Amino acid sequence: MRRVAIAERSNWRARAAEAGFRFHTIDGAPYWDETAYYAFTLRQIENDLEDPSAELHAMALDLVGDVVASEELMERLAIPAPFRDWIAESWRRRDPHLYGRLDFAYDGNGPARLYELNYDTPTSLYEASFFQWQWLEDQRNRGALPQQADQFNSLHEALVERFAELSAQLPPPLYFSAVGASEEDQGTVAYLRDCAAQAGLHGAAIAIEDIGLSADGRFTDLDDVVIGSLFKLYPLEDLMREEFGAALPGSGVRLLEPAWKAVLSNKGILPLLWQRYRGHPNLLEAHFDDGSALPAGWVRKPLHSREGANVAMHMSDGRWQESEGPYAGPCIVQAFHPLPAFDGNYPLVGSWVVGDRACGIGVREDDSCITRDSARFLPHAIVDDAPAGNTRIYV
Amino acid sequence: MKRSRTTALLLMSTAPLLFTACQKEESVQVQEGLYTSVEACSEATGDPSACRTAFAAAQQQAADAAPKYASKEECAKEYPAEQCVQQHTSAGTSFIGPMMMGFFMSQMLNGGRAGAVAAPPAAQPAFKDNANGWAKPAGTGGMNTASGIGAGKAGLAPVSSEPNRAVTASRGGFGARSGSRTTVGG
Repeated sequence: MRRVAIAERSNWRARAAEAGFRFHTIDGAPYWDETAYYAFTLRQIENDLEDPSAELHAMALDLVGDVVASEELMERLAIPAPFRDWIAESWRRRDPHLYGRLDFAYDGNGPARLYELNYDTPTSLYEASFFQWQWLEDQRNRGALPQQADQFNSLHEALVERFAELSAQLPPPLYFSAVGASEEDQGTVAYLRDCAAQAGLHGAAIAIEDIGLSADGRFTDLDDVVIGSLFKLYPLEDLMREEFGAALPGSGVRLLEPAWKAVLSNKGILPLLWQRYRGHPNLLEAHFDDGSALPAGWVRKPLHSREGANVAMHMSDGRWQESEGPYAGPCIVQAFHPLPAFDGNYPLVGSWVVGDRACGIGVREDDSCITRDSARFLPHAIVDDAPAGNTRIYV
Repeated sequence: MKRSRTTALLLMSTAPLLFTACQKEESVQVQEGLYTSVEACSEATGDPSACRTAFAAAQQQAADAAPKYASKEECAKEYPAEQCVQQHTSAGTSFIGPMMMGFFMSQMLNGGRAGAVAAPPAAQPAFKDNANGWAKPAGTGGMNTASGIGAGKAGLAPVSSEPNRAVTASRGGFGARSGSRTTVGG
């Protein structure tokens, strides 16, 4: 794994505009960054990322049945009592799921270490699946990358296939929903809706705040049509706690991701994985936080936190790093394992699972070892015999 | 190869693409309906040719998609007895099952653009049970060539041609916690 500088495509902004990629620059700062790429070998991709992703995914799904059958574990994961039967029922029915992302610390050597699962509202999908793919094609075509350069990214095909499978299982009509004012989330949802349409599954779009509730407890669109299935790029734990949340179990709406994802999008799954698979090479030691002082070499994360918010890191050398954010509540602690540094950039590898298939990665790097929403997305390529690029610097 | 062989955007793209029905989002509309005859379909859609194509395609799938029973008595528990007849699947398996009583057609409208090639309509057979409930094959293919006898209606999904409506009592009960975050995803 190397970070290799490469000339940007001179027309990439035009390419972005024609492909509806509107959030490549966020608040004036670059988000899509193709001034460099990460080069992997095929062995690194297949042995260190693809296979472990599939294995960890299966391990995590294996735990869901145990959690939903246990009041004690549901309590541990801070799942509100009125929703526990609803969640358990969605698992018993095996309500279908679409996608998830595993976040790894990986430097090209040794096992990738799982930081967390983003199994409810993962983003950075469009840029990984579509725009990154187009970058590779363009750079191969203009000779900036060798013809045999490849990419671990069959996301687009996997998504279209998955929607074709889902079309028989989702009660119509289907809606795709995200926060109306979030350009990034709207972009992700627009892409998913596009993939569904390519599979012949047509869904409408609605902002999450425009959803209505009828007197008999069903969710409606702006035209009073009852929503049959709802893809929501909005955290399950927030939906449950908001005003309309109490109506979810009785509404009959089929959610995507399904209700049982509340178990896996919860950082409490990390200590549960550790309890069952203690010492697994891809897992970091993790425990539920008992509130005592955070020892050196440990990281504290809330059960519900996204975009690296509210993380406290007590590094092995005694230094602290903390991030701010809106999240509170119960926490877990996880063994400190720093992200590798490549020229002062800290890449985090997001490994995608569509349905139950590990099918691609996206690399986001930040200037610090907590990956925040300020991170930049860099493309990657599988280049087995590329010329030597930058060497890795350990910190 | 570890990457998609190809990618495409149907709704998001502003560039001309190879698809026929992928101009602008506004013009991609899907017309769907359940029809009991080609005439009823033509009247509703104004497109007799698509209706004939859809009817023929549905009829071709009907035997494979029909619920399959070992006897007329079993079939008559769920479907009107006069509809329960002996049929053969495309693989040659003989069974008793209800006749196709209608067809479901789904068609992408291209906004009447000149030069656009209309995609053929998607069609599926529809069956009407004792409770006057319509159902069509679950899934997109509907080709069930296994004998399937005894599975009854398991392979069918109910059709409601009218969207389900409910008077909205309130709105805005979701989204409050998104606050000032630029994304709620992760």
